[in-house]
Amino acid sequence: MAASFQGIAKLLGRLSPSFSHPLRQYRLCLQRLRVGPGPCLSPFVPPSHSFCKALSLQDENANQAAEALLRYKESPWDYLESEEYIEKYGTKPVWEGYRRNHKGGIPPQKTRKTCIRGDKICANPCPVCRDPNIIIHYQNVKLLQQFISPQTGMVYDPTRTGVCMKRQKKLHEAIDAAKDHGFLPFQIPYVEFSGEDYSNSHDAVGSTSPPQSLASGETWYKWYSEITPDEKEVAKVRRTYKAYLK
Amino acid sequence: MAALGAARCLLRTCSRVKRVPKSKQPRVRCGVRTLCSGTRDNALSDTARPRFSDPAVRDLLTGITGLDLQKVFRPVKEELKPPTYKLMTDQQLEEAVESATEQAKKLLRMPPLLPERKPIHDVLSVDEILDGVHAAKYVFTDVTYDIPHRERFIVVREPDGTLRKASWEERDRLVQVYFPKDGRKITAPLVFKEENLRMVFSQDRHEDVLDMCLVQFEPDSSDYIRVHGATYEDLEKLGKYQLLRSTRHFGGLAWYLLGARRADGLLVDMLKRDLLQDAVSLVSLFHMVHPHSESAQEAAGQRAAGAALLKIYAQKESQKSGYIELALQAYEQLAAKSAAD
Repeated sequence: MAASFQGIAKLLGRLSPSFSHPLRQYRLCLQRLRVGPGPCLSPFVPPSHSFCKALSLQDENANQAAEALLRYKESPWDYLESEEYIEKYGTKPVWEGYRRNHKGGIPPQKTRKTCIRGDKICANPCPVCRDPNIIIHYQNVKLLQQFISPQTGMVYDPTRTGVCMKRQKKLHEAIDAAKDHGFLPFQIPYVEFSGEDYSNSHDAVGSTSPPQSLASGETWYKWYSEITPDEKEVAKVRRTYKAYLK
Repeated sequence: MAALGAARCLLRTCSRVKRVPKSKQPRVRCGVRTLCSGTRDNALSDTARPRFSDPAVRDLLTGITGLDLQKVFRPVKEELKPPTYKLMTDQQLEEAVESATEQAKKLLRMPPLLPERKPIHDVLSVDEILDGVHAAKYVFTDVTYDIPHRERFIVVREPDGTLRKASWEERDRLVQVYFPKDGRKITAPLVFKEENLRMVFSQDRHEDVLDMCLVQFEPDSSDYIRVHGATYEDLEKLGKYQLLRSTRHFGGLAWYLLGARRADGLLVDMLKRDLLQDAVSLVSLFHMVHPHSESAQEAAGQRAAGAALLKIYAQKESQKSGYIELALQAYEQLAAKSAAD
């Protein structure tokens, strides 16, 4: 139990601090406290006291995480203007520099299904899941444009950006909604208008005459009844297919 | 008594003669000729009034639109292919440019301008025996492949047993379901709502909005006319005519402004960019559309052409006459200088 905790602590310690997740932050503190003689605690503090401190720290960190989520929930596009974002990413897109962990030289053609299951987050989460302030929203145009190629206008494959499949699907939905609302420009097909009749004189779209009492042999529309073809046309057709007629 | 009888005969012949023109035009029944006012467009000038589809009008509008090959064939975002290089002689290059110009003229053909379609309120039969049998409406569509969509029968059976023809909105939706058109959605995109339109206009994407409108709506639907009206109003308010120049929508914009007698902004913009020929065409179009206005009558009387037309228009009709006259003076000075040289 303690050994596994130590192992996890080592792994977490190796990660660069800028990408640390608040959830993990509080777990980190928790594990450091529980492991024992950490740098922040003196060895003579009784264990009950340390657990109380751990709990209060845990609450604080949970509150911080919740606050961070709420801060940008109403306007997720504000985060991309903030100093925090510029410090972390600068002018590069959010997914640049992320590297997937996989066996062998060729990565699997699909990224992982999801990084966050319930409360737990996986190791090496994708570029969107690792930063809780990045919210995929249809009005967050700057973020969405980071995932669209500027030359072709197509959305990047998840094997290139590294996002998990759940976030990729959300991204597609947000991009479609943004195009629908007019936030994102896209190439519009050209429509031809020649050769169309807009007179609206046909009975299908015009007004039908009120039902008259039909005389014997008379039909509602004149094209309902038997139409006799032109004799010359019939003779022509018979001539062309003479070999096939009995 | 005889005079009354004669007046009645005149009335009858008047109304009979006026029934002959096309049923599309709104019929104004002037009983006695003396009662009709001269300045309003009345039934007498309906047949003389130019339509958007007239060849003369269309030629003038295509002249005003201009043909900027760089704008028409600007690079679009699409699947990347390796580039092709061609080695051409001068003559081949000229031929290529000519064919490109032909293609551009085809692309700049203006979409049709139609009056709003009348709603369909036709009930084919009422079968009370079917009242309450079903809880939902049933729509029957004729899906024969070869018939035009405007001749397709689409009828709706209401839960109360009425069999009626489907309304225009239902027709468009169902035709899109069975015969989907590229780019068209079944429910209209949310970009055509007021707030979203305002946001798109602030980004100067009027051409995109009009293209999307052409894809989504039929030319005689109310949404098409509303969106076009809103776009033209916004362009006129901010004077951003250059956005639509050399696109297929410029003719529609010019026609809309001429119809509303608000073409001054456009005229001033043309003079600013030294497009004198375009300005002259615009004024002659105005005289065609409003033949009973003062400037039209004076121009017809004087048989003015060129800069003189503009002068007459500036004096009689426009609100920004000061600027137009200044620009004309500057042009005349330039012309005099170049003649002297």
